[in-house]
Amino acid sequence: MRRIGTWIAVGGLLLATAACGGGGGSNGGSNGGQAAKSASLAVGFVAEPANLDFTSTEGAAIPQALLVNVYEGLVKLDQDGKIQPLLAEKWDVSADRKTYTFTLRKGVTFTNGAPFTADDVIFSLDRVKKDWQLKIKAQLDVVDKVEKEDESTVIVTLKHPSNGFLYSMATRLGAMFSRTGVADLANKPVGTGPYQLGSWKRGDSILLNANPKYWGAKPKLSAVTLKYFKDATAMNNALLTSGIDVISAVQAPESLQQFADPNRFQTVEGTTNGEVVLSLNNGRPPFNDKKVRQAVRYAIDHKALLDTAWAGRGQLIGSMVPPTDPWYEDRTGDYPFNAAKAKELLGGKTYNVKMRIPNLPYAVASAQVVKSQLAQVGITADIEPLEFPARWLDVVFKQGDYDMSIINHVEPRDMGIFADKSYYFRYDNPEYGKLLAAADAGTEQEQIDDLKKAAKLLSDDAAADWLFLFPNLIVAKKGVTGLPKNGIAEAFDFTALAKQ
Amino acid sequence: MRGRVNAGLIAGAVLVGIVVLAALVSFVWTPHDPTLVDAANKLREPGGGYLLGADKFGRDTFSQLMVGARTTLYVGIVAVGIAALIGTPLGMIAGMTPRGWLSELIMRVNDLVFAFPALLLAVMLGAVYGAGTLTAMIAIGVATVPAFARVARAATMQVMVTDYILAARAAGRRRAAIAVRHVLPNIGSMLIVQASVSFAIAILAEAALSFLGFGTRPPIPSWGRMLQESQELLFSTPRLALWPGLAIALAVLGFNLLGDGLRDYLDPKLRRIRAER
Repeated sequence: MRRIGTWIAVGGLLLATAACGGGGGSNGGSNGGQAAKSASLAVGFVAEPANLDFTSTEGAAIPQALLVNVYEGLVKLDQDGKIQPLLAEKWDVSADRKTYTFTLRKGVTFTNGAPFTADDVIFSLDRVKKDWQLKIKAQLDVVDKVEKEDESTVIVTLKHPSNGFLYSMATRLGAMFSRTGVADLANKPVGTGPYQLGSWKRGDSILLNANPKYWGAKPKLSAVTLKYFKDATAMNNALLTSGIDVISAVQAPESLQQFADPNRFQTVEGTTNGEVVLSLNNGRPPFNDKKVRQAVRYAIDHKALLDTAWAGRGQLIGSMVPPTDPWYEDRTGDYPFNAAKAKELLGGKTYNVKMRIPNLPYAVASAQVVKSQLAQVGITADIEPLEFPARWLDVVFKQGDYDMSIINHVEPRDMGIFADKSYYFRYDNPEYGKLLAAADAGTEQEQIDDLKKAAKLLSDDAAADWLFLFPNLIVAKKGVTGLPKNGIAEAFDFTALAKQ
Repeated sequence: MRGRVNAGLIAGAVLVGIVVLAALVSFVWTPHDPTLVDAANKLREPGGGYLLGADKFGRDTFSQLMVGARTTLYVGIVAVGIAALIGTPLGMIAGMTPRGWLSELIMRVNDLVFAFPALLLAVMLGAVYGAGTLTAMIAIGVATVPAFARVARAATMQVMVTDYILAARAAGRRRAAIAVRHVLPNIGSMLIVQASVSFAIAILAEAALSFLGFGTRPPIPSWGRMLQESQELLFSTPRLALWPGLAIALAVLGFNLLGDGLRDYLDPKLRRIRAER
């Protein structure tokens, strides 16, 4: 769970370069250079990745583009958040829940031609420990050793039972790399997935071509273009003018009525794992004082915020758990909007705080509402939009030089980020870490109970404020199928995408 | 006796006057708090105390326009001030020593800066030092320096060949004294004209930068950012884009008319022509 996420929802626009119409099913033929499918789509996103190496670079944009599509893990998440087999045909868990035996799929090759074997699994998992530079890699610290029984059987031994292990294996942490394919991850990803990198026009788009040698059902598209837009209106216009086929995450929800015509467009609305967090720097004044943090939570009228900043799309949460997780509880009642109470907690004092936000639409919109509402209780927030991702990641996330920020933490099951006191929240409560550890080691029911307690603790401590849950809001041209209703995995899965 | 007041000058002065007045009044009074978010007034139609309606945050558009005028003038004054304070002395030095190496150096560096787009400079400064009104003003100001330097140089060269300068030199006046006593007063009118034209350019640049997110920080009202925020509502609530757009257009028109009018009014040659008529 510690992820950084921070990116923003992605908008997908797909530009159909429409080679031709046929498109049909997966007629398995892998005839050399070109996949047999004809259609291609362009999906629009925001926040282009800085490079393509998610083992060394934080941020959600890279796994969003590459996971499941280019890289595959042993397992993957389905639309309901359940774990499904992918490169592992099946797995067995020992009675003490400490040993996982994965049976690997045979006949799988990487796009560089190397076969996928048990050695690659060992290599990939070792690499997480040795070479990965992300904070979230700590999730796999629970792995004690990885051994191969034969070419297609791998045994993973854990230090202690862990509910989170298999889930982590479905995220980017579990992505399988080729032993001979990691020389230039930043530019040349090598995976086993249904797509491979075609080209990357920096600042504009990434082209993924269908992998002709893919082991599974062939994707229905011959190519997908991921087109990156800085600007919500530009993305909208691209869809209106058929420059693209899909907006993967709407960045200007007020503009949805432009796409109201059912003969041309369809809208998909669901939930995500993206908690839009009003981060408070617990490590320095004034927010090292619990009372001031609580005052902030009381001072914010979340319903009004959602209605104005994001057109009422999304859901109010109140803690770090999205409704799609089994341990979700409605925590919005913990700090009901109450300006008088907030003032009382502040004891008549006034504060000046630095609100350093990414220059992303939801953050800039929310920040203005937060500022206005905090001003009512005597907290003056100075809004400073920083260029995202580079500047924001550096100043706020790495250096922790901020009082308040707003960012969408998109990673699934990311409660663990609050257990890491070096994380930019600087939240430090050993009790919380203990609850998370107990949850991970306990039975399924214990996990649910402990994580509910943890979410309550987080909310009671006012470790941050949770503004709203980011909606999965997709607009696409009519005829595009296979769009995910809920955006609850790290990847934007192109494998089911098709165009009629 | 100066030239006759013309219609353009009056129109320009009136438009600029309105902007200045709105900015000054906004310090003591606006109909509503321009940054107060009020969900109940979201996208409120004009009327009932909200003269021009409210935006998606429930903020009064009219109040925002008034305070936005402040931002506009502030940026214009500082940017033009920077440009004039740096550009004028440089231009005068170059103009008083037209064949010296210093003059060459100044004017070539000028050309270099002139070749660099102001907006690009502002975006770069914003990326390095953080976007904000100050960085925007400095960038616009620096990019406007060459315009002032050129005007000042050309005007100075004209003045330097006049009889009274010759007399001053013959009387043994030092160069600095000549520059301050004789040159500056005589090129002042051209600088004023240049200032009003640059002011209009600065307004446009600030609006553009705020529109791009590199200018005035939210939620301080700025016409450019109002435009940007109204983008997504362009189809449903076009008035939100109409008013700030109109404000920018009229302010820029006002300063340009003022500049033209002042030129006609202050230019000694035109004055002579008029007198002969």
